[in-house]
Amino acid sequence: MKKFSQLALPYIVWAALMLVLPMLLIALYSFTRQGNAIISFSFTLEHYRKFFTDSDFLLVLTRSLVIALKTTLLCLLLGYPAAYFISRSNEKIQNILVLLITVPTWINMLVRTYAWIGLLSEGGLIQQLGIWLGLGKIEFLYTESAVLLGMVYNFVPFMILQINSSLCKMDPSLLEAAADLGANGMEAFKKVTLPLSLPGVINGITLVFLPAVSSFFIPKLLGGGQYFLIGNLIENQFITAGEWNFGSAISMIMAVIMMLLMVLVKKVETTNRGGSEEG
Amino acid sequence: MKKSKRIPGKLLMGALILFFYAPIIYMIVFSFNEGRSLTVFSGFSLKWYRHMLESKDMMEALYTTFSIAILATLISTVVGTVSAIGLSKSKKVIREAVEQMNNLPIMNPDIVTAIGLMLLFITFQVEKGYLTMLLAHVAFCIPYVILSVMPKVRSLDPNLADAAMDLGATPIQALFKVIVPQITPGIISGALIAFTMSVDDFIISYFVTGQGVKNLSIMVYTMSKRINPSINAVSTMVVVIITLSLLLINLLPLILENYTEKGRRRRKIFWAATGAAAVALIGVFVFKGGLEEERKPYQGQVLKIYCPGEYMGENVIPVFEEMTGARVITEFFDSNEQMYIKVANGEAYDILIPSDYMIERLISEKMLQPLQQEKIMNSDLLVEEALGLPYDPENRYSIPYFWGSVGIVYDSTKVSAEELEEKGYEIFLDTKYKSDIYLYDSERDSFMIALKALGYSMNTDSEEELQQAYDWLASCVTTMDAEIVTDEIIDNMAQGRKALGIVYSGDGAYIMSENEDMGYFEPLEGTNLWCDAMVIPTNAQNPDLAHEFMNYLCSYEAAYDNSDFVGYTSPNEEVMEELYSEEGTYAGINAYIPRSGYEKDESFNYNAETKKIISNLWSKVKIVASNSGN
Repeated sequence: MKKFSQLALPYIVWAALMLVLPMLLIALYSFTRQGNAIISFSFTLEHYRKFFTDSDFLLVLTRSLVIALKTTLLCLLLGYPAAYFISRSNEKIQNILVLLITVPTWINMLVRTYAWIGLLSEGGLIQQLGIWLGLGKIEFLYTESAVLLGMVYNFVPFMILQINSSLCKMDPSLLEAAADLGANGMEAFKKVTLPLSLPGVINGITLVFLPAVSSFFIPKLLGGGQYFLIGNLIENQFITAGEWNFGSAISMIMAVIMMLLMVLVKKVETTNRGGSEEG
Repeated sequence: MKKSKRIPGKLLMGALILFFYAPIIYMIVFSFNEGRSLTVFSGFSLKWYRHMLESKDMMEALYTTFSIAILATLISTVVGTVSAIGLSKSKKVIREAVEQMNNLPIMNPDIVTAIGLMLLFITFQVEKGYLTMLLAHVAFCIPYVILSVMPKVRSLDPNLADAAMDLGATPIQALFKVIVPQITPGIISGALIAFTMSVDDFIISYFVTGQGVKNLSIMVYTMSKRINPSINAVSTMVVVIITLSLLLINLLPLILENYTEKGRRRRKIFWAATGAAAVALIGVFVFKGGLEEERKPYQGQVLKIYCPGEYMGENVIPVFEEMTGARVITEFFDSNEQMYIKVANGEAYDILIPSDYMIERLISEKMLQPLQQEKIMNSDLLVEEALGLPYDPENRYSIPYFWGSVGIVYDSTKVSAEELEEKGYEIFLDTKYKSDIYLYDSERDSFMIALKALGYSMNTDSEEELQQAYDWLASCVTTMDAEIVTDEIIDNMAQGRKALGIVYSGDGAYIMSENEDMGYFEPLEGTNLWCDAMVIPTNAQNPDLAHEFMNYLCSYEAAYDNSDFVGYTSPNEEVMEELYSEEGTYAGINAYIPRSGYEKDESFNYNAETKKIISNLWSKVKIVASNSGN
């Protein structure tokens, strides 16, 4: 029924205007000099040069990537076993657990991050717990650990849900078959479960890494005013410094890095899938 | 699976659930706290809920969050579903092109999407506010709806619609009677994702909003610097609303199931969900209607104020609204620089409350309108020290709001006044106080203390001297492990968390009134004597009302409420003397009355070039601090 294809037309126009044009504008700003009037733009690479020739900016970028990587690893370490446990429970418990994990993600992220301030602050529950356990007085708020904690807290549900959904799609008779063919539990996990859950793992990594790199409210709320990640740097350029062109250039750099990483991840996924099909 | 193998799994699961819910429960518990503290529970009370209900800001943030979420969900679900059906019948090239476009907001970091949309609205001069926020939410929600509807549509038999039409159905009937019921599960899950994304969003809303429109995320972000247990109350409200709607969504199908035959169930779910959304929408608008005040004779007018956060007495605006019947919209800025960028980009406000040097800049760039002095009769009540300052020598453009100095707040149990007198600002380089100091995140005042410590004028334009000041600050943040804060310093120093900090005199007065051990010291090397004042920009929509507001703020009642609540020095002479007198709130607190007549004290002049240098160098100080920490 060809008539229905016209239904997509308005959206194509909308997407070009609201999704593609903004990206082009960022690119335009990043390659032009100061000033907001696009009529009088002059091409320049100075913003990119400024970023790449300054070791302090580069250090901010690498620190952001490193903390996002740490977050992703921690989420994977916590999320995989949890998802595995859920997928092995009976259906009723499975539904309850999935609901329990989903509910917090429905509550606004800033609200949830703010909730940690009381727990972590001076004289708060975590500090008292530390003293009680004999660990001494732990200064937690406004440290990198607090930022890491905030990120894992906010993003680990995505990891669990993604891995769980791909584990649930797995046919349980595959494991029986593996056992029949003489594989022990560990082997069956390595040869069957792990490869089959890989798409979920990869989706989970994407859903955690992406927001972790660019987050700027978690560092600001839990890391304090002098904790600067790439997201804070961009915010700062737009909101307080007024250097929109430089800010746009940093955004472009970030978008390109993310795109390259995504392409890489997709490649790992497809080669792996190809490999497991052959084997 | 053997039972024993599941024990570690159960422990992990239990720990995770505790991890997820502990902060939420903690927050709910403390929303009922009698006291202000976030760590000590001093008794049960509903006062923060009362506070929340009385705060127009908070109620509007709740309204904005949920009305945008519901509208964005409805629009993006309908548009997304229709487009997905259309796309499934389109050519492969088109389908793939749209998929690529949809991937942009999904695969890009939020901040990139946010900045793109902000630049889009600014380039096409769409006034930022509720509408732009809604458009942005629709823009990032539709791709998720399409993503979840598309597989369902494509798994349908392609001849289904044709068959229906052969049997005499119109295309519309074929769409709604045949196709939509088949893909309902996809539509519902798409709508749920859209709703979650919208409620959860902060970054995109933050960049595309304007005119003081804020959702909960923006409110929490801008209010989180000072302890404010009302945030816990609002957050608890959100938890309750979300839990109730989740229960509703999960229970409705179960209830309906009992009453209907299985074949019609899906459609029923669809209509139930639509019905629930409609009821919620109506509820939200009724709620909003309840917020609107009844109209009074000469009203309906709006006054837009742009001022620093937490800088106004609690009753100032309600009383003014009551008095004039006008509606006041307040928007907050973190720094004069942030304010300038917005105003220079054409956003219209009726009143701004910037600092001295910024007023000088605004005057020199012809962005302010001269005041009609005859409309501000109460300016006679103002104290001489706050009038006729160099930034606006005849007060042609500005009426002082608060004034004061910059100084060192110190914990007298850790630091003695003698030591401070001897070392002055250099105490911030004394490793005895390593990890025990706060710097204030203000580029001007940080450079002021560094320049004063080095014996230079704070208005220097020598790059050499500024570079030395940068080195001074960089060594302070790297060797002293200083924390750079803004308003968090107020509560933290009131709790005695650190030995020393840089503060504005008014915050110093508040801190001293909360904690007797704290003192305020103005170093002998000199300091910044500042004044914040009210001005009317040239593009103000309602200058008459703005004059009315200025006049009102000079009055005894408003000035008293303002200064008593915030702790900054009032320009109203009577109020200032009364608050400092023996019965006053700030009796004996030296920070309340700034030093005057000291030769080394200065006030800021505006200089475009040094401003830019200082701004860049201060960014670098913060980056260096961040890179050296941990």
